[in-house]
Amino acid sequence: MNVQFKKGVLDLCVLALAAWEDRYGYELAVAMSAKFEVAVGSVYPLLNRLTQEGYFTTYLRESTEGPPRKYYKLTPQGHSHLMSLISEWRSFSIAVDELIKEGVER
Amino acid sequence: MNREQYLQQLWNLLSPVPERTRKEWMYDYEEHFRLAAEHGRLEEEAASELGDPKLAAKELLLGYRVAEAESKGGSLPSVSRAVFAAVGIGFFNLVFVLGPYIGLLGVLFGFWAASAALVLSVVPVLYEGWFGDALTGPQAISAAMVLLSLGLLAGAGTYKLTRGFMRLTLKYLQLNTRVMKGRKS
Repeated sequence: MNVQFKKGVLDLCVLALAAWEDRYGYELAVAMSAKFEVAVGSVYPLLNRLTQEGYFTTYLRESTEGPPRKYYKLTPQGHSHLMSLISEWRSFSIAVDELIKEGVER
Repeated sequence: MNREQYLQQLWNLLSPVPERTRKEWMYDYEEHFRLAAEHGRLEEEAASELGDPKLAAKELLLGYRVAEAESKGGSLPSVSRAVFAAVGIGFFNLVFVLGPYIGLLGVLFGFWAASAALVLSVVPVLYEGWFGDALTGPQAISAAMVLLSLGLLAGAGTYKLTRGFMRLTLKYLQLNTRVMKGRKS
């Protein structure tokens, strides 16, 4: 995937994954790298940056299968950032679709 | 590479960072191996899907440097460290980012030197007025005052220019750290 394309989109996707429920890092990392050409190891720095920017908070929660897991929770600020990213993405993808229809699929 | 090797290598690569932050970062990777094992994956598999520890370390460091430069209000050493971290990660072409950055720093340095020279030139002018014959005392004093005020003005201007340049550089870095270069092997 084009690097310029990924700009911002990865932020959007990882925030979107945590929109309804808190997720632990492993889930997010595996889900992201399954969809995009991203090394799993690069998702953690991304999560780290989004946490630093105040879009995520993290906490540890006990799990049934062993040591506690680090969960990522969307903050209200993260939520509104996600909403604005989504609306940006929608208008972008509609514009691209329209041009594809106009130019290719007529 | 197995778990031990991966974590050890990452730990060593993150040595420029204070231990507390480093441990926080390592936690994610340790947990990754643990959960991968719970999902029945081999250590080697988990390590290879994590990718190159060098890349992960560089990405973590870049985020850290940019945040650090921000919190220090864009001071020259902190911004420069962030620029070097960005170049190290290969986000930027060495020639196209580092070159102009150093060039502009050179220009700013020139301005600083010129301002300092104006201020310092007050000393020989006063000396000349006092002991020499080229200038009378009052002439020397007014010339010195003109030079001093020009120097201070130039210095204030250069200060503003430097701050602005640092802020712009930081903005540029922040925009560009949104791009991730990590690729699956």
